[in-house]
Amino acid sequence: MDRTVTLRSARFRADREADWQLLESLITQAERRGLQRMDFASARDLAASYRRATTSLAIAREISLDRALLDYLEALTARAYLCVYAPQERLGGLVHRFFTASAPQALRRSWVFILAGFLCMALGGLTGYLLYLENPSWYFVFLPPEMAGGRTPDATTAYLRSVIYSTDPDTTGLGAFATFLFSHNTRIAIFVFGLGVFVCLPAIALTFYNGLGLGAMLALHVDRGLGWDLGGWLSIHGVTELSAICIACGGGLQLGAAILFPGPRARRDALQHAGRDAVKLALVAAIMLVAAAILEGFFRQIVQDMTIRYAVGWGVGLLWLTWALLAGRSRA
Amino acid sequence: MKLFRRKKPRPSSDTILSPEGVPLTLKVAGLGVRIAAQLTDLLLTLAAAGATLILLAVLNLTEPHTLFAIGAMLFFLTRVPYYVITELLWNGQTLGKRLMKIKVVSHDGRTLGTHAIVLRNLMKEAEIFLPGTLVLSLDAASPILSLTALAWAIMAFLIPLLNPWRQRLGDLLAGTHVIHLPQPVLLKDLARETIPIETDGTRITFLSHQLDHYGAFELQTLETLLRADTGKMTPTAYDNHRKTLATIIEKIRRKIGYADPVDPADHPAFLQAFYTAQRAHLEQRQLFGDRRADKHHAAAETSA
Repeated sequence: MDRTVTLRSARFRADREADWQLLESLITQAERRGLQRMDFASARDLAASYRRATTSLAIAREISLDRALLDYLEALTARAYLCVYAPQERLGGLVHRFFTASAPQALRRSWVFILAGFLCMALGGLTGYLLYLENPSWYFVFLPPEMAGGRTPDATTAYLRSVIYSTDPDTTGLGAFATFLFSHNTRIAIFVFGLGVFVCLPAIALTFYNGLGLGAMLALHVDRGLGWDLGGWLSIHGVTELSAICIACGGGLQLGAAILFPGPRARRDALQHAGRDAVKLALVAAIMLVAAAILEGFFRQIVQDMTIRYAVGWGVGLLWLTWALLAGRSRA
Repeated sequence: MKLFRRKKPRPSSDTILSPEGVPLTLKVAGLGVRIAAQLTDLLLTLAAAGATLILLAVLNLTEPHTLFAIGAMLFFLTRVPYYVITELLWNGQTLGKRLMKIKVVSHDGRTLGTHAIVLRNLMKEAEIFLPGTLVLSLDAASPILSLTALAWAIMAFLIPLLNPWRQRLGDLLAGTHVIHLPQPVLLKDLARETIPIETDGTRITFLSHQLDHYGAFELQTLETLLRADTGKMTPTAYDNHRKTLATIIEKIRRKIGYADPVDPADHPAFLQAFYTAQRAHLEQRQLFGDRRADKHHAAAETSA
């Protein structure tokens, strides 16, 4: 008399319904409390029950025409999939791994690109220096007036010296830190990295241009016999900050190179692959920029002696280099 | 050389292949809901940065002329970790995304990695916030810069519109996209309801040739109609519902050649019986490899 049980799909559903409802409750538990805090038995059941549900879904798609069942199973397995394949990493371990392994390894892997970044900057500096010596009016081309801050070829040597050894800055402490963090160089670093995607050219051009301004300013001070003093003034934060720009440029170049020379991969895949290291370079550059802002905001005004400025600047630079070269090497 | 290759038809953008090899349906979230989530997050981080700024001002750690720079720094220092940490801890959901019930998933169906989350949120800086602040701080003195910022912002907005997964640049690089969270609701199985008997005591039966006319589409449309909750209907709506049932029964009877007239009191019972019989028949045909998508299946078979 009871015709209903003869329906294969109805029997299929009746047999498995309890298991699906168990899975549903496990999902709610996992979503509310997190997988880490579930006890062992429930976590094991969740994984096993999820795999049974995927099988059920695959079978139901073949044998059942019950829309309600299909919709339910689709939603249930999708929800369970999102729970089972959730990221399982802890924040502390992540930060630790970044500093002790993945960042320095990425730096070493992309040494060619970083070297290219440093070369761009150095070539720009050399060009700026030579062009200034040939004709000082180039200075105004490379350094816009708001950046030069009065330090033009028309300024007196005494004024230039006073800027380098100024003991009375208009901002100090936190305010200075914030101002320097969002200064010209940070913006350059962001652009240099982001624009690298457009086949490298903007990254190279911007780094070169940054070098030009640097070279011209150095030439002006050398001309007035203040070369070593400017070097000290720049070193204290510049070693870190300019290296950050070069590393950001290296990351940008890596992205651009992936688009120019994708090799056997599709361009999209090559970009994704290059992105893995490039992002780490960008993060390193960001950390270095913050460090540079601290040095610039707090230490540049406190340390007035030229040799100590050199020592601090290049000492910090050496620390970065040691970290990049030695950290995260396996013991083998 | 051909400039435009005709691409092979791609599988629907709403499916993801799970590591178990079963394609899962996860609907891609549209731009509107994502912008709403983004605005929620923006308001939250702005509020947090504003509160810290006020605290610093009260503690006399700021000077009036550096207030703006410190504010910008605080906003930056709250929002970057906010997005990364919330998406890491809550499995691809920020507070705004939780509110809108959307979620970030890995494009290839594998676990959403830390690298992907960091990358897509860092790109957000370059894609949304950088041109955003540039556009906000426009001045007529530098038209080239403002136009570049505007063009960049428009491009960043157009990229998601141009691909089926609504991925922005950061999503493309990280290999992720955003989906709606599915809500599983299990409705009762219509075929398991015992078939009611007609008021005159006879059971409704269908012959196999009578069930050869319809396909899965018609069956599932009938299912939706049978699931309509008559208990919650207003009297007029219920009247209309009964009229619809009567029309449908007339159509079915004419199509399948069912001779006996059906008494109005037996209408739900007739449809229930027809649904069960039709589903049993179609499912059996399907097991033998004869999938019938809709009532045109016979024509499709002869033409193919």
